[in-house]
Amino acid sequence: MVDVRFENVRKLYGRKVAIDDISFTCKEGEFYSILGPTGAGKSTILKMIAGIEPVTSGKIYFDDQVVNNWPPHERDVSMAFESYNLYSHFNVYDNIAFPLRAPKWKLNLTKEEENKKVTEIADFLGIGKLLDRKPQNLSGGQKQRVSLARALVRKPKVYLLDEPIAHLDAKLKFSTQTLLREFAVNYGSTIIYVTHDYREALALSDRMMVLRKGKIDQIGTPDDIYHNPQVDYVGMLVGEPPMNMVDGILVSRNDKTFFKSGDLFEFELSEDSAIKAQKHAKNEDNNLSVRLGIRSEYIKVSDQKISDNSFQLPVYAVAHEAESTVVTFELDNSFLHSRISRGKGYDSCRSSEKVWLEFDQENIYFFEKNVEISKA
Amino acid sequence: MREGEKLKKQGVTFKRVIFWVITILVMIGILGPLLWIYLTAFKSSADIFAGSLNRQLIFTPTLENFKRLFVQFPFFKTLGNTLIMSLGSTVLVMIVALPAAYSFARWNTGGGHILFNTIASRMFPGVVASIPFFIVFRHIDLLDKHIGIILLYMYFNVSFATFLLYGFFRDVPVELEQAAMIDGYGRFNIFRKVVLPLVLPGIATTSVFCIIWSWNEFLFAFLFSRKVATTVTVLISSFWGSIDVQYGTMAAGAAISILPTLIAAWFMQRYIVRGLTFGAVKG
Repeated sequence: MVDVRFENVRKLYGRKVAIDDISFTCKEGEFYSILGPTGAGKSTILKMIAGIEPVTSGKIYFDDQVVNNWPPHERDVSMAFESYNLYSHFNVYDNIAFPLRAPKWKLNLTKEEENKKVTEIADFLGIGKLLDRKPQNLSGGQKQRVSLARALVRKPKVYLLDEPIAHLDAKLKFSTQTLLREFAVNYGSTIIYVTHDYREALALSDRMMVLRKGKIDQIGTPDDIYHNPQVDYVGMLVGEPPMNMVDGILVSRNDKTFFKSGDLFEFELSEDSAIKAQKHAKNEDNNLSVRLGIRSEYIKVSDQKISDNSFQLPVYAVAHEAESTVVTFELDNSFLHSRISRGKGYDSCRSSEKVWLEFDQENIYFFEKNVEISKA
Repeated sequence: MREGEKLKKQGVTFKRVIFWVITILVMIGILGPLLWIYLTAFKSSADIFAGSLNRQLIFTPTLENFKRLFVQFPFFKTLGNTLIMSLGSTVLVMIVALPAAYSFARWNTGGGHILFNTIASRMFPGVVASIPFFIVFRHIDLLDKHIGIILLYMYFNVSFATFLLYGFFRDVPVELEQAAMIDGYGRFNIFRKVVLPLVLPGIATTSVFCIIWSWNEFLFAFLFSRKVATTVTVLISSFWGSIDVQYGTMAAGAAISILPTLIAAWFMQRYIVRGLTFGAVKG
């Protein structure tokens, strides 16, 4: 087990910047997730830790040792690839046993010991009956689990898992996720886990990083990331529907601060909110412009006026789900979603009906404008 | 409408006729000589030179050609030479071409220039190289030696084999090798345990090509051998004397010596087609 530390690491592919000067530490025994959209550079980070992609500049440490120039087989890591990379000339058993047989680790297992380890991990992941099959005769989900088993069978310094459950069906995804958590707790292993699915990251990690275009947007516990997003992008990446973003301006009247979004609505900010808003506001065309973020569950919807701070908008669409109803409103450049738990609000509204809305001031965030928002 | 359909039907029929005519012509071109060889091998001299078509096709089979071939000429010795040279040169070719092709495919060694030059060496007529080779071989005493001809065959086959194998190696995903590196294997073991098993069909195809080429080679065997290292093709050509042509013996020799290549081609046809398209398209 080791700490993995990045110090000002940059990675260029030709002239294209894949990783732009990032630094972070994954502590020993930590389940550390890297969350980000496709092309953010998540896999590149893993490949640099594994040593199959060289670092352009900066340093990667395992504990206190710089490992930049260590070849992959010296680093003692194991990796599950998103593209599986199974050895097609071996059956499942040999695929999983392959890392155990590497002379490098000097395990010198007897046939029985090897067999025990392989069947144990295969049974753990529910592929114990497939050991004789060739990879060509497996489904995508089965291949993915074989690839995961191959990564987990050995006890390396760091486990690198690249979207290891992305191709499993929903049910299996959930159960494998639980197994992974169990594995991490049982072995106290350092795991660096790459995913584009915020649910996996939130459910599994001790800490996580949000990566966008090769840069770190935020590092924190899942709780931090969900409840305390530092930039608008993090809020929009985590949650379903994504955090609502409303661009508007701050207006001061009689010592009170109002948030005004175009001609659509205006409401008074509480003292706390006003201070937060001022901090992120920027002067644009003589207006204090700011982006407001609010999760859909903190928007109250009613057919009657809720308070002096509520405002009216016409309903754009209504979607009824099993546990809740999502009411959508159209704004100038985006949509506003409100999630109403079953029976806890006015969820029988119809489209184009004018209803009253109120934002829960305890749960609004203010951001600088970082990413373009759109209706798409 | 009817007229159109009729025309269309006629078109289809016409296409079919053309297809079969060409196929039959090609078949005659391929099978004709084979038929001639096997018929002639079992004929007596009288039958070979008979005028009537009847006697050309219906005759009493005899083994006298084979007897003469085995008794009067060193047929088995030359056949053995051919075998030694084909196999020997193919083994040497593989020893050189496998690492070369792997290196070209994986690290683009030489930035494509060396690979191009390797292939280009196959583009000029082989006979161009014969005089310089002859002079060099005479100086280092390689004329009429097995190893001399093996080296020549190796020279001619290495480029072709490298090119074919290059295509096969290119088909092995680099990620697979990266996975093996992470699993704790060094370069050599990765090559042996992961890459080699995956290109085995390619190695088989390439080897068969090399063996067939060397087996059939005539020109260099003829130029570079006298007595000791003569191959079966050279022996058979010697039946074409200045006074008469011993068609029967020639056919008997050919009948036996083409068998291995025919059988190899038959067994490998699936791989060979695959190998050719792999090498050609992807290389």
